[in-house]
Amino acid sequence: MESERIVAGLHCGEVLADLSEHLDGRLSFDRAERIDEHLAGCAECGRLFGEVTAAVRALRQLPDELLPPEVEERLAEALPG
Amino acid sequence: MTADDAKVSDETLIGRTAAGDPSAFDRLVRRHQAAVYRFARAAAPDGPPGDTGDAVEILRETFLAARRAASRHRDETSARPWLLALARQAIDRRHPRSREADLTPLRELARAAGWQSGGGGAVDESGLSVETAFAALPPEDREILTLCDREYFTVDEAARVTGLSDAAVRTRLHRARLRLLARLKERPHGE
Repeated sequence: MESERIVAGLHCGEVLADLSEHLDGRLSFDRAERIDEHLAGCAECGRLFGEVTAAVRALRQLPDELLPPEVEERLAEALPG
Repeated sequence: MTADDAKVSDETLIGRTAAGDPSAFDRLVRRHQAAVYRFARAAAPDGPPGDTGDAVEILRETFLAARRAASRHRDETSARPWLLALARQAIDRRHPRSREADLTPLRELARAAGWQSGGGGAVDESGLSVETAFAALPPEDREILTLCDREYFTVDEAARVTGLSDAAVRTRLHRARLRLLARLKERPHGE
């Protein structure tokens, strides 16, 4: 089992808290740069970030579920003209 | 949506709906009904398999509320977040939400996804598909992922739909993504 550590001046717990914000590009430039340094030097955090990114990408690439025809039909009947 | 439909903005359709134009309302419904349906399926608790009755009721209540509220719609609010906020209210009426906070420590969620736990097996073909993993998540996780990672809403838009603060949206999104990853790493039953 790995243990949490400090890489690039950041503790793994701090990086964990900011992973989604980093993925979405919402961190300041300086903060993002330090997190990138941590991710490059910490196998556990780097792998987690890569896997979360891949999971989000896979979710975003799912085709949109279409409206079933019977639902559309029932909705049209339920909405008074 | 046809090419002709695409020329008419949502704001125009909402304005005409407010003025009592039934064809504009009909076009607004057809343009957004699939997205409202997907949101209802994600954010409402699961019903019996194959039962679409709840989703139909949420759709009906959403669009009836939209017609009633069309005159109060502000142009600076995009139509889709406005409609999904109405859908959220319809879901709340049918399925009151628990107000209990998610107290699971972040580290615990991350460890379930393999972080610092020696369980870093990559997501691979023997794991669950993203569709199955998403469907197995609690409704509040599916809701925030739908808004932020499927509809690409801003944090502010997702906050308006859910009634959460911006900070709560960010926190909930992060936790939902970690739970999605943990689900993706689960092996299918029987393996």
